[in-house]
Amino acid sequence: MLRLLKRNRDLIVVSVLLVYPLTTFLARRSAAREPNILDRAVLALTAPVQRVFIWAFDGAGSLWKGYADLRGVRGENLELRAQNRQLRSETNELAEVRAENERLRRLLDYAKASPDPQLPARILGVNPAATLLSLRIDRGESDGIRRGMPVVTPDGVVGIVQRVTGSFADVVLITDANSKIAVKVQRSRVRATATGKGESRALQLENALRTEDLQEGDQVVTSGTDGVFPPGLLVGRITSLQRRNYGMVQSADILPAVDMTKLEEVLVIQTRGAPPSANNPQARRGADTAP
Amino acid sequence: MKFLTTVGLTLLLLTLESVAVKYLGLSVTRIDVTVAVVAFLSLRASTVEGAMSSFVVGYLLDLMSGRPTGLYTFLAVLTFLIGRLAASLVDVRSAAVFVIFTMAADLGHGLLAIFFSWLTSRDAAFGSNLSALPLQVALTGLAALLLYPLFRKFDSGAERSEVGLLR
Repeated sequence: MLRLLKRNRDLIVVSVLLVYPLTTFLARRSAAREPNILDRAVLALTAPVQRVFIWAFDGAGSLWKGYADLRGVRGENLELRAQNRQLRSETNELAEVRAENERLRRLLDYAKASPDPQLPARILGVNPAATLLSLRIDRGESDGIRRGMPVVTPDGVVGIVQRVTGSFADVVLITDANSKIAVKVQRSRVRATATGKGESRALQLENALRTEDLQEGDQVVTSGTDGVFPPGLLVGRITSLQRRNYGMVQSADILPAVDMTKLEEVLVIQTRGAPPSANNPQARRGADTAP
Repeated sequence: MKFLTTVGLTLLLLTLESVAVKYLGLSVTRIDVTVAVVAFLSLRASTVEGAMSSFVVGYLLDLMSGRPTGLYTFLAVLTFLIGRLAASLVDVRSAAVFVIFTMAADLGHGLLAIFFSWLTSRDAAFGSNLSALPLQVALTGLAALLLYPLFRKFDSGAERSEVGLLR
């Protein structure tokens, strides 16, 4: 018997391994049994291992998800930066448009209030030659622009049209050294001549009698006697007086009302006639005879 | 493969499978990694050692399933024995043939599992289990392809036993 068992040991072992679970299964008719001591021991041994694996996989999954999210955030960040740049650019453009709109509105209001017909013009460029302070505007003969027409802004006097082509015109600024316009002090009605000093932010008040009443801070306006500028346009403000102990006249520095360096749009007053020669001799003649 | 190596590897694979099910959302089917282990055992292990290892592999699957009924223990040993018989007829040396071998084993294992489940509990979802079987066999084949080099590595140095049922 023992020999028989020994000889068929493998067969018996395999049969037991096969039959035991089958009979257990069939006996219970697929009902799960309660875990026995062996089950509990195996589970107790395997559970920590399983937990470690699941923890590792969870960690790797979380890491990957975090990385993916981070990549998403980076992409989103780049996109938002680009969007931000675009929006800032648009905001700047809108601010420019608003400022332009404001300026044009003021020009329009000024033009409506003025008795003379006025043509708005845009500054195209600045003359690069230091010997002549002038600007180029986008209006010319085709728009009815003629030499000698005064150019102004709501802030004050800018200059005179010196040269006209088909669709452009050059405007000599009142601050140019060759420019002279007839002016008067608004408070005391003293007449004088405002001469350009060749700098964009400086005018000289000349030909005012020494006995006349001039004060720092006085507003200087056009007198209209030069036949170029209509009377009453703001030229600037007296910043300093030079009154000597001798001589007949006194002089003063005038700060122009218009900042020539920041001009973008101007108005050309169209009713005034063209002067006979270059460098505004008519204005100069008028100014010279102003007092 | 050594007995303890088989047990450790089975535990690892079952854990991987449970995590894969959790992450990949394989709720309609499963990857039968234990069948791949049993299939490899049927090719390389001796009858008694393989049967015992298969018993433990099946037992672990039973235990991990949460409803230990003994069915998977029985099926693992049975699959091993049928695999031994098949291995005596075909010579499995390449990964591709091992994949086919494992898929065939999984198909048989799956059909038997469905049959025995149906036999003991007539209200079991016979149709849905059967329809999920092709995908399960395919996924198990894919797993076998990936696991074959690993099995070979664990098995390296071991003498290949003589093939044949109960030899």
